[in-house]
Amino acid sequence: MGATLKSAALKDAAPNGAALNLVRFIAGRVLGALFVLWAVATLIFFAIRLVPGDPAEAILGGPGSQASQEALDLVRRQYGLDQPLLVQYLDQLGRLARGDLGTSYSLKQSVSSVLAAQVPPTLLLASLSLVAAWILAVGVAWWSAGSGRVARAVSSGLEVVASAVPHFLLGSVLIVVFATGLGLLPPVSTGTPIGLVLPVVTLAVPVAGFLGQVTRDSLLDAAAAPFALTATARGEGPSGLFWRHLLRHAALPGLALSGWAFGSLLSGAIVVESLFARPGLGRTLLDAVTLRDIPLVTGVALVSALAYVVVVALGDLAEKAVDPRGQSA
Amino acid sequence: MSTQYLEELVSKNTAGDVIPWLATSWKEASDGLSWTFSLKKGVKFTDGTAFDAAAVVANVKHVQDPTTLSSTGYLALAKVKKAVAVDDSTVRLDLSSPDSSLLDSLSQPWLAIESPTALKRTQAVNCESPVGTGPFKVVKWTKQQSITLERNDGYTSPPKDAAHTGKAYLAKIVWRFLPDSASRYAALQAGQVDVIDNAQPDTIVAARKSDQIKELDAPRPGASNRLELNSSQAPFNDERVREAFIRGVAVNDGITSLFFGTAKRSYSLLSSVEKDAYSDPSLFDIDTTKANDLLDSAGWTTRDSAGYRTKDGKRLTVRFPVSTNQSIPAERALFEQIQEEAKSLGFDVEISQLDLSSWYGALAAHKYEIVSAPYTKVGPGVLGVLYDSASITPAPSGYFANNAQVDSRKVDALLKQASAESDATKRADLYEQVQKSVLEGYYVLPLYDQQNHYLYRTSVHGLRAMPTVSTPTFYDAWVQR
Repeated sequence: MGATLKSAALKDAAPNGAALNLVRFIAGRVLGALFVLWAVATLIFFAIRLVPGDPAEAILGGPGSQASQEALDLVRRQYGLDQPLLVQYLDQLGRLARGDLGTSYSLKQSVSSVLAAQVPPTLLLASLSLVAAWILAVGVAWWSAGSGRVARAVSSGLEVVASAVPHFLLGSVLIVVFATGLGLLPPVSTGTPIGLVLPVVTLAVPVAGFLGQVTRDSLLDAAAAPFALTATARGEGPSGLFWRHLLRHAALPGLALSGWAFGSLLSGAIVVESLFARPGLGRTLLDAVTLRDIPLVTGVALVSALAYVVVVALGDLAEKAVDPRGQSA
Repeated sequence: MSTQYLEELVSKNTAGDVIPWLATSWKEASDGLSWTFSLKKGVKFTDGTAFDAAAVVANVKHVQDPTTLSSTGYLALAKVKKAVAVDDSTVRLDLSSPDSSLLDSLSQPWLAIESPTALKRTQAVNCESPVGTGPFKVVKWTKQQSITLERNDGYTSPPKDAAHTGKAYLAKIVWRFLPDSASRYAALQAGQVDVIDNAQPDTIVAARKSDQIKELDAPRPGASNRLELNSSQAPFNDERVREAFIRGVAVNDGITSLFFGTAKRSYSLLSSVEKDAYSDPSLFDIDTTKANDLLDSAGWTTRDSAGYRTKDGKRLTVRFPVSTNQSIPAERALFEQIQEEAKSLGFDVEISQLDLSSWYGALAAHKYEIVSAPYTKVGPGVLGVLYDSASITPAPSGYFANNAQVDSRKVDALLKQASAESDATKRADLYEQVQKSVLEGYYVLPLYDQQNHYLYRTSVHGLRAMPTVSTPTFYDAWVQR
């Protein structure tokens, strides 16, 4: 803490402080990202080997295969599985460092081509859900801030329920109501924008509940702060006060949580993509884990980790933009 | 799925008799060591390659090539030494020993005949765009999403029991992968899809109330779904303890309530679609008094503070690894009910829900006393796979099929005879003796057929399941729009 304050003070004193600051920020983030990727690759490599079963078998049609000894030997040689574990690990790191993610055991396609096909749908789903979650959270916060005590109690209750509801339950209920009951929306994804509505809502609502809770708490704090009174005294109306002054403060904790929220959206995608039969990383990961497809599991984990790192960095940048003081976070 | 674009040499009709498909007739040599097949003439694969004796020879070689990595097909053709093209439309299979299950094996989709030209491509390409002689051909395969099939206009080779000849009625089929049971049903209700597979008990019951949806109940062939008791180690190495479990654990009410009446109780080792299935309900009459007496006489006389039986200070614990990939929620609920039932007898049933590789790992390490392992195969030959003592010896991967670890000379001898017997009646009699022997040894608690229900909209006509492995076939199907 002391170190942070000191460096902040130094930055303010130095010329070109802002540029230096940015370079440091980026360099720090890149190093951090590399560390995270290495840790993920290492963890997955060893963790997946703790599950009983032979990787060679996973290549030969999955667990329980009755592959012949010849077939097993051949595959072990082909994939270097006859090497000592440490050699396999270093080989793996070497390949990853060169950007070679290997070939999926179950799909018999290069992992990068599988990812190239599966990343965009999930990214689209997660990003839209994050945007939808913010709209919902801020919308409810705005409504409850401008209304009375009852509205606050109602919205607070809604937020608690929303943040606690499991994806599969919410998704199933939405399908029953909007697809089966009202016939308004397709129950499984169709590849058209309309097919995105239910999956996005399913993913967005729990995150919105969480963001709403933290946003509204700090909104109330901000509303009670002296600057709010000052702004009102200057003649700012309720709407202007909310958008120009209060939200800037209230959004900060939420923005800090956006990285976390994105991570939870990625994990939620596993359920939502299966439920709505959407292509994507979540479903790919589920199948890959079931089939013990080590290269594919590693690939999905690395991409998710990278996405997480990027989003957290973007969240920090957004925070800096909203809060020019610069030393919070 | 592959039933739409790949075809086998023979098929079966609903009575369970083998019928012509790509082969028009066949003959077994008097010594049982070779089979000669006459092939349908003028048939072409969808890549233009001719279907002939050379194509069959190439397929047998492909399946038997250890580097092909086809384990199921490899095992099914274990007794086939080689395939010989006698002339363009005649092929002979030479065997190392007589195999009365050969025709059953050849009717299975994993021994479908693929274009020899296409087989020469790399495995990755071949898996993505398989080429057969079927009524449809694969035009687009998007992994995990959908497969698009288009009609094969030059189609001439339907199986003998098809409702029509010539090309299929449907011009195109889109096969979508919808992993979640509830959304699958919702998509069917909304008319987004016309047919769904793997319908769960709750949706089947819902569908029965709808006048827009019909059900096709097509149990898988081979073994019934059953609990197997591991007779190789304590406590189930004692027949009295096995009988006590089977006589003392009531399952009928559980099956009725948890499956909402969609699954019928089985008393057989084999699926009800197998015409040689032998059933004996009397062996499974519940008699808890007798069950308790049996456990007492086996020495499990004392009970610990939790109410479980003990012997020499050891609790009557039986481990029950459950594969979450190979069981449905209703079945897992049934297993929990069985656990409760067995508790009152004094059994401590330890259920562990495992992913597929951990589950196989538990079996390979003999860390189980009870297991439920589905096995699909056409014909009574599955009894040889599951109950011959040779099936206790693990494959290189650690896999073995005889989970009850039945190790009986009598059963082995009967299975050997049955496998060599070409007379259908005699063969059925031998297999009946095998089934009696295993059932009477209390190794197995049969539950129900391997469930396989399709639901479809009433606008779909002519859909049926193949009498072989109960896969749906759309050759005769059409949709009223």
